[in-house]
Amino acid sequence: MLAEQLINGLTLGSIYALIAIGYTLVFGVLDIINMAHGEIFMFGAFAGMLMSMKLGAPLPVAFLGSVALTAAMGYVLELLALRPLRRPSGNMEGNAGLSTLISTIGVAIILENLSLKLFGAENQPFRTSFGNVKFTIGPVNIYLIQIVILLASGVLICGLALWLKRSRSGRALRATAESPETAALMGVDTKKIITTAVVTASAMAGTAGVLVAMSFSNVGTRMGVSMGLKGLAIIVFGGMGSVNGALVGGIILGMAETLVVAYGDSGYRDAIAFVIIIGVLLLKPKGLFGQNAS
Amino acid sequence: MRRSGKVFLNPYYLQIGSFIAINALLGLGVYVTLSTGQLSLGSAGFMGIGAYTSAILTARYNYSIPVGVVFGALAAALSGVLIAIPSLRLRGVYLAIVTLGFGEILRVAFIRLENLTGGAIGFPGIPKLGGTILERLKASSAGARIFSSMNGNALESLLVFAILLCITLMSAAFFALQANSRVGRAFSSIEMDETAAESMGINVYYYKVLSFTQGAFVSGLAGALYGHVASYVSPADFTYHRAVEILVYAILGGAGQVMGPLVGASILTTLPEVLRFMSGYRHVLYGAIIVLSMIYRPQGLIDSETSDWLRKVFRRKRFIDGGVK
Repeated sequence: MLAEQLINGLTLGSIYALIAIGYTLVFGVLDIINMAHGEIFMFGAFAGMLMSMKLGAPLPVAFLGSVALTAAMGYVLELLALRPLRRPSGNMEGNAGLSTLISTIGVAIILENLSLKLFGAENQPFRTSFGNVKFTIGPVNIYLIQIVILLASGVLICGLALWLKRSRSGRALRATAESPETAALMGVDTKKIITTAVVTASAMAGTAGVLVAMSFSNVGTRMGVSMGLKGLAIIVFGGMGSVNGALVGGIILGMAETLVVAYGDSGYRDAIAFVIIIGVLLLKPKGLFGQNAS
Repeated sequence: MRRSGKVFLNPYYLQIGSFIAINALLGLGVYVTLSTGQLSLGSAGFMGIGAYTSAILTARYNYSIPVGVVFGALAAALSGVLIAIPSLRLRGVYLAIVTLGFGEILRVAFIRLENLTGGAIGFPGIPKLGGTILERLKASSAGARIFSSMNGNALESLLVFAILLCITLMSAAFFALQANSRVGRAFSSIEMDETAAESMGINVYYYKVLSFTQGAFVSGLAGALYGHVASYVSPADFTYHRAVEILVYAILGGAGQVMGPLVGASILTTLPEVLRFMSGYRHVLYGAIIVLSMIYRPQGLIDSETSDWLRKVFRRKRFIDGGVK
């Protein structure tokens, strides 16, 4: 059913968009890719699963718990692995961005191996009480979970877009993304803004983690890397630092993957993201929504 | 003396040494690509091309190992050119992610092209570098007399290590010489400011493709050698993790100097072995060490100051040695 596949694609795409927006927020203010983002996402998924399945917490509580955990992880990441590298450049040989990139890679290695130790290497099931509830509209089946995912990610993305556009701190964040020095001169507390961006991005990764866990009904330690890679592909495709780009890119990728799996060869699923971005970048080197003036 | 000889011939240490040499070669690949300011995460992919090309040539078509290795490196270099040309417009993170994507596409291809690569199960039975040479040596009468008394296993490891060390040091020497040549100066001027370099009459496109291709060649070489050392490769050897690891070798050691990747690869290859007593947590600590070293030495362990200092120390030593003679 094409309609069903489109809904599947849209659901998957909205989750991809959530992850990609996290990358975009951090890239916007810091000009670096946060390589630990995928691992934070994975911790969010595990936290939600463990709280709901092992502790018997109701789903909304598990949801909030995992968001709180990932937000805290974001704060620690910023405090220990990003902030110490952002000092006034004295003897800065080579690229300062590179060292921050490597530092986030270090954090990703820590989190990945810690998760193997804490959660084990096997995939674990995540069952929700409404996992099999579905509605039938004409010939089309929609699962309740899909509606929950679409609603949750829709609300989050719209909320974030509004916050960035309208609120005082959102404007400050955009100013910092434009130019940290100028923003600081205008009285923006850039340190606080950067922390906010990293924490928000991580919390969104946590949300996406729980949503993915619900929709695939299992969690594994390897989902961090695969989702992380897709998120990276999307932000490059959509244009670094652009929330719209992340949204559109996420949905296009979700659709493309679902359709290829449904009508083509599922073995190539993980390569699609990169085939698409390579194609797009050859035509538009700064992504679909990227500013062409650097 | 006898004890040190034993340590020196311990196959375990020699194998770590061989992997250090291969990793240093991979680090050099990142170094030379970065020397024109291009951040590539495709090393694992190029490594895979080199490894599979050489494995197929030697195991299926019975070519000798040197032929396989050279063609492996050339195949990687050729794909390097093919990627470099369309990627010239991309900068910084964009290039990094496209090269990362190229690696992922290749990994999926290695899994799917089963008749060629053996698929996800991997490619076993690649002729071993050490074993083949040892056989040749033993076949000659003089060789048989000298080597028959020695432990074959240790000797094989020693031979492999010596060959790999030679190749790595020769590549390092080549890049060090190149850095002070016309080409090297063109590279660093492009890294500093592409527009300025172009207005000085430097053919930016040519040199960027050249540095990218050199990086691909070296990575392919390392991959081909890796196949002949491990005698088995699988798509799992050329994942995103590998690419990131290789990048860390170069940056942590200091990507501005030829010495950097060598030092970085040596430290980071030895570290997990040294941390073995930590068992399950050793990789957690490994990650923490990466973060800490970036905090305290963001430019890498070897920067121009340390490299100058090292050079001075070595020069003085050589001078004294010469004087005594």
